[in-house]
Parts: sequence; structure tokens; C-alpha cells
Amino acid sequence: MKLFVSEGNPHCVKVLAGLEVTGVKCDVQLVSHEERVVPFLNRPVLPVLLLPSGQHLFSPNAICQYLFEVVGKEASDDGNQLLEWEATELQPAVLQALHMLMLQGKSGEAGTVLKGPLGWLEQYLSKRTTPFLTEETVAVADIVLWAALYPILSNSTFEAGELPSVRGWFKRVSQVPACEAAVQRVLQGKGLDALKNFLQKQPAPHIQRRDSPS
Amino acid sequence: MALKELSSLEKCLGLKKPNKYSTQGERKVPVLQNNNGPALVGLVTIASHLVHEAKRTELLGNSAEQRAVVQQWLEYRITRLDNCSKEEVKVILKELNQYLEDKVYLAGNSFTLADTLMYYGIHHIIMNLAVQEKEKFLNVTRWFDHIQHYPGVRHHLAPVVVLRNRVYPSGQH
Repeated sequence: MKLFVSEGNPHCVKVLAGLEVTGVKCDVQLVSHEERVVPFLNRPVLPVLLLPSGQHLFSPNAICQYLFEVVGKEASDDGNQLLEWEATELQPAVLQALHMLMLQGKSGEAGTVLKGPLGWLEQYLSKRTTPFLTEETVAVADIVLWAALYPILSNSTFEAGELPSVRGWFKRVSQVPACEAAVQRVLQGKGLDALKNFLQKQPAPHIQRRDSPS
Repeated sequence: MALKELSSLEKCLGLKKPNKYSTQGERKVPVLQNNNGPALVGLVTIASHLVHEAKRTELLGNSAEQRAVVQQWLEYRITRLDNCSKEEVKVILKELNQYLEDKVYLAGNSFTLADTLMYYGIHHIIMNLAVQEKEKFLNVTRWFDHIQHYPGVRHHLAPVVVLRNRVYPSGQH
């Protein structure tokens, strides 16, 4: 099994943290953002996990779910729902906010873009009795949502407003040694600036999502 | 759209009692009201839940690896295919066509939930493809035809005519 990652790519924080937390054995290879690891995809996508069967996993969330399943932690409705929310609601907003924040210096507008998703997460967390999103310990949803929000919530110029539950949860996950290590490995000691190179190579996010014609 | 899909999926899974759904937000995300616990939100989450309820978990994959591949294509469906632009449609068809070159189903050799939901999501696109385009994306067309004839899948959708004999001999476009 082999995991392909690239420097400064926030999605790679997800899978490296997942790998560390689960302790699954796997070769890790650092490649450039332009490397086309998956032959059937139109543009270079990272991270990629090459499975023993020879199949490529190119979704960071599916890779994380797989790593947790390998160590016997199967998916739950709760966890699935958070992963789906991350992929469909949070991720497009995060990408747009990162562009504004890191490439255009518009921190106020980045806050507006994320107001909805962060407000939802604050509400979700305030109703939980567990220290983490789904359980007493770090689970796959914590890794995925934490890594998605890392470039935003660890950026001091981002104005998020009062988010006590989100901030508390974010800090708890950040202190997990596996998560700290994953950040170091992806940012290579360059701090959040390491993300700029990655962001510049990404297609500009849609400002408004198109609604389906139906 | 998503609600029709879920109702077809219920029939496909042989679930006798239809569930009650609503939608939320601009994107009309489906919500399943649950008597025994909190509501479930999201097409893939609800669809996976229904598969468990029907005790047909093989449809989510038979091994950890296959389950991951199924999850990946379910995510692809809701993040890439849904609400995509016209230009993006061509990219998606190209990617799927390449991927399906040596595969019968999305997750390899057995039929899974990924095939069902991808079929529901791509139906309106395949429906509007010209004959030449169906020829161009031959592997997608072959997979699509296979799934629409799979027992119990089609339900709310119209059959799409796929000409199995090539109308245009290659090289005369």
C-alpha cells in the first residue's frame, strides 16, 4: 500500500493524520502538485492511496474512512453524515474562503463565506456531550473536519466571531500528537504560507454554485 | 430529485414501509425523519442507512477495500456530478469512461450502491447525449445500459435507448 502526498496541500493533512492516529502501515511518497498519480482523472489530484488490489483511492475522506476501518472502526450514521456535510457544504466554502484569505487578503469576506457552515458546526457541538464529534475519542469525522478547518481556524487574521464550542473542539483535536505531526509534515515548517503554492495551482472556486435545472 | 431517488431505492431494496422525507437548504438536501433518534441528513448518508435497514450490506462493498471504493464514487456523485456545469459534464464523462474501460461495475466485479446512485444522478445527462456522443463515451454507455437493465433499479426513470450496433462505422465522423 502506498500513499502519495504533496507539500502544502491541506487534504494531505487529513490522510496523514488518519494514518498516524490509526497506526496503519503504509509507504508515504512526497510528489509535486502536478504529478498525475491517478491515470483516469483529468487533472492531478492528491492525496492518493494505492490499494493492495491496485485500485486508486483519490478521495481524502474515503482514504480516512478506509484507514479507520482497517483498524476495526466501522462507519456510523453519525460519522457518515458529518463526512457528507464536509464534502458537500464545508469544503466548497473553505476553498472559497482560503482564496479570499490567503491570495486576496479579504479576511472579512472569508468570514462571511464560512458563517453558515461554522454556525452549523457550533450548534452541533454545543449539543454534544462528548469531547469529540461522535465519540469520547478522536474518530474519523474529527480528523476530516479538523483538517478541513485547520488552514482557516489556525490563521490569526481570520475573523470567525464567537465560536466557543468550535474553538474548544478544534484545540482538543490539534493537541492530538498525530494531528500535530501531520501538520508539520505537510507545512514543512513554513507555516500557512506553504498553502499558497497549492492554492495558486487550484482552479478558482465558483463564487456561486449553480442550481440543477430540475 | 433526491426524494424520488430515495423512494426508488427503497423499492429496489425491497423495503416495504416507505419513509418520510423532507428537504433543507437551497440545495434541497434530503432529510430522513427518524422516530428512534435524530434526523439523518444527506443523500449518501440516508441511502447507506437504508441499505443497512434492508440488511443488504453487500451493496456497500464486501471488503474494506471495496467499501472504500464504493464510498469514493458515492462522494464523486454528490460533489462532482450534482450541480455541475456544462463544461464539467464532458470532463466527468471522460473520467468515468476511462475508469470503466476495464470494469463491469464502479466498484469492480459486483453491483453496489455506487452504481445505483451514479445511474440516478447521470440519467438526465445520458438521456440528452447524441448518438455520436454515446459512441464516444462507449464504456459509460455500456455501463449505463447494464445498470438500467439490472433487476429493480430503473423505477422512476425512463429507459434510454442505447443502440448496441454501431450506427456510425468508426472513422466516418
